Amino acid sequence: MATLIDAPPPTVAAPKSKAAGGGLGRYILIRFLLIFPTIFILVTLVFFLMRITGDPITAAQGGRLPQEQIDALVHQAGYDRNLLIQYIEYLGNIATGNFGRTISDGRPVVEMLAKFGAATLELSINAVAVALLVGIPLGMFAAHKRDKVPDAFLRTFAILCYATPVFFAGLLLKLTFSVGLGWFPVAGRASTTTELAMGRLVAPTGIYWLDALRSGDLSAFGDIVHHAVLPAVALGLLTAGVFLRLVRTNVIGTLGKDYVEAGRSRGVSEYRLVTKHAYKPALIPIITVMGLQIALLLGGAVLTETTFEWKGLGYQLAQYLTARDFVAVQGIVMLLAVIVAVTNFVVDIAAALIDPRVRY
Amino acid sequence: MTKSTKALRSAIALTGVSAFALTACTGPSGGGGGSTASENANSVIAYGTTDKVTALDPAGSYDNGSFMVMNQIYSFLLNSKPGGAEPTPDLAESASFTTPTEFTVKLKGDLKWANGHVLDSKDVKFSFDRQVKISDPNGPASLLTNIESIATPDATTVVFTLEKANDQTFPQILTSPAAPIVDDEVFPADKLLSDDEIVKANAFHGQYVIDSFNKNTLVSLKAWPDYKGVLGKPANAGATIKYYTDQTNMKLEVKGGQIDVANRSLSATDIDDLKKDSNVKVHVGPGGEMRYIVFNFDTMPFGAKTPEADPKKALAVRQAAADLIDRQAISDQVYKGTYLPMWSNVPSGFAGANESFKEAYGDGSGKPSLDKAKKVMADAGITGPVNIKLQYNPDHYGNSSGDEYAMIKDQLEKSGLFTVDLQSTEWVTYNTASKKDSYPVFQLGWFPDFSDADNYLTPFFVGGGFMNNHYSNAEVETLIAKQLITADKAEREKTIQEVQNLLAKDISTLPLLQGAQVAVSGTNVKGVDSTLDASFKFRLGTISK
Repeated sequence: MATLIDAPPPTVAAPKSKAAGGGLGRYILIRFLLIFPTIFILVTLVFFLMRITGDPITAAQGGRLPQEQIDALVHQAGYDRNLLIQYIEYLGNIATGNFGRTISDGRPVVEMLAKFGAATLELSINAVAVALLVGIPLGMFAAHKRDKVPDAFLRTFAILCYATPVFFAGLLLKLTFSVGLGWFPVAGRASTTTELAMGRLVAPTGIYWLDALRSGDLSAFGDIVHHAVLPAVALGLLTAGVFLRLVRTNVIGTLGKDYVEAGRSRGVSEYRLVTKHAYKPALIPIITVMGLQIALLLGGAVLTETTFEWKGLGYQLAQYLTARDFVAVQGIVMLLAVIVAVTNFVVDIAAALIDPRVRY
Repeated sequence: MTKSTKALRSAIALTGVSAFALTACTGPSGGGGGSTASENANSVIAYGTTDKVTALDPAGSYDNGSFMVMNQIYSFLLNSKPGGAEPTPDLAESASFTTPTEFTVKLKGDLKWANGHVLDSKDVKFSFDRQVKISDPNGPASLLTNIESIATPDATTVVFTLEKANDQTFPQILTSPAAPIVDDEVFPADKLLSDDEIVKANAFHGQYVIDSFNKNTLVSLKAWPDYKGVLGKPANAGATIKYYTDQTNMKLEVKGGQIDVANRSLSATDIDDLKKDSNVKVHVGPGGEMRYIVFNFDTMPFGAKTPEADPKKALAVRQAAADLIDRQAISDQVYKGTYLPMWSNVPSGFAGANESFKEAYGDGSGKPSLDKAKKVMADAGITGPVNIKLQYNPDHYGNSSGDEYAMIKDQLEKSGLFTVDLQSTEWVTYNTASKKDSYPVFQLGWFPDFSDADNYLTPFFVGGGFMNNHYSNAEVETLIAKQLITADKAEREKTIQEVQNLLAKDISTLPLLQGAQVAVSGTNVKGVDSTLDASFKFRLGTISK
């Protein structure tokens, strides 16, 4: 993480070749095609790593059933066949969107992914919002006050943000603001009344605050935001620290440029230089870093969701891992891989659109 | 540039507004599940648990979390009234043995499902037949092995033909997880039905119907006015069931009033903490859970397949351990009273239970006795300390198992008669390995399938038992078989006591603790104690506020 922050802005990568013959279309196509081998490699790895410890049924049953019954179930499910055949069949199934059913509770994996994926997406959006709202203004302020007390304080704050384990931050926030002060709920995505109301909507997106806004229920919206604050802050601060340092470094770098010096010599105020001239170039790397942070956010979501009983993919992943439900775990890991790959693709394209020099 | 500046200012303004909005949202929530206490019997009860639902289909689950919900939405031929575990007609009007191998049930007339379908003898036969046919690995079909066939001479009569005559546990089986009656017009005969399809089909006949179902997150139940079973009209208009993973979150929500009542599974420390909180009430009822040590007769010290095999010395080791272990100390210090000392293989509260180990070991009143243990070992010719390899499981029987077994090690070693090699293994391998002679002495626990003393005897001590610890006693097996078919209650109880006395002599297993049922509620909540009975069925219908 430290190298990431201290490194020069990543947007100024030198063009590897002239853009002629390349162009944005070709770049997008190559980037898009790269998604598939990435996912393929991950799916393959997960499949075989899971099978190292045996078949999913034996693992999930944990010796609860007589061996004969386990053998019969393993045979019935086809887990005693050649591993390569199982693998090819598995690839065929996921290519057609058939992820099977979870072993522990018989739930269709696709349905589970859709439902809990929406909850994780909501948490991630909330966390990114916190990261941007905290990281960017504070980063600019730190640059503006560089080498003064507020800057030193904010740099320390940033280090604390990204050095504090997310589960610890979550627990600390919960103990302080839920248990101690009683300002926020202890757990969950919404109160019982709101949860029931969300479940009764005709076409819910699964993102509660969006559903509440679509249905015009402002009371439910308030309740949802109230529940979302602590998990979003716990997870968002992780990235906010990164953004704060990054923005600060880039703004300071930009403030040293000739055109800014020229402005300074014309008597333009330091505040105006930061807010008018230096912020835009400083924000560009945020887009690239955001892509890298998505994987970190998803990793942090597992812990945040467990701490706050936020029933999303991370929470479910922990449950299914405990139950040794390999089918469910494979489905969740696969979806997380797709999210990371697609996000990186989108970020690459966005970065290319903003700065043509990154195309090749 | 001007446009960009505006954008930046907008962003900063948005930051401020958002911060304000978030701050504004930090007050108490109007829509909170905190459901303000209204002294109204028609209010909705909020219940919290850490148990999980595997499936709403009775053929697809055999766990506390699923059975808890089933008890609210399905009926049984026989059930028990709150306060006891005695099987009483529920859907049935009458039920009894009409011949030694025939158990005849007469159904109440005009029974209907919540979806309007007729509930008759066809549904009953269908429910049991499909359990056996599906025989799902997660299901309770194994409880129905004594049913040979089921006949339905008319719409309100069901005749169960049993393989073993006069099975006195059969009425209890009809109240068990294997016995909720399901709608034959909704459920398929040969495969499980998904939760959502069950909810959509409104295939319920219980005190409640499911109003909304968000699996293992939030379930909403609504009282069903047409229920005609033994439980009667619920004391509330409905209930929500909220599922937690973290017991501390659940504890905090009970304390904060977000849920009215919680049970399963708060830790001993949490319960101890809640007992000191004036905002909540802790309710304790009889429990059927048992914790015990198993001796493998082949591999324990001086066991039949050890180089130093000696049955007399092996028995002395077991007896000395029984003399030395201080159950009360474990109950008080480790479990804070949420598990109670247990002095027999059948927990107290069950018909026929006695305290055979209390009289036979220790000081005769339940306390340990070092002198007695030393004498037993010396009489058997054991001179030096005996090394015991003691195994426990850290992930299946709760977090406190480690403390429990550390204390047992300490109690045994303090005597100077034993050195204990304490080891633990994760449940995935533990359960299999324990049955394959891997552990000479090991921990196990048991939760009954149904509320009858036999459920603590037959599975353990007949035909080698499920523990596979190489213990066998023909006299014990004969007496267990006898009590199973003895219709006279007093005589049956006497036989059960004889079995316990014999078991205490042999010490195939050393009973340690009996779990209590614990629930926590707000101080304004009534009726929780009524459901903490020996049936181990948590009935939301008894609760009001």
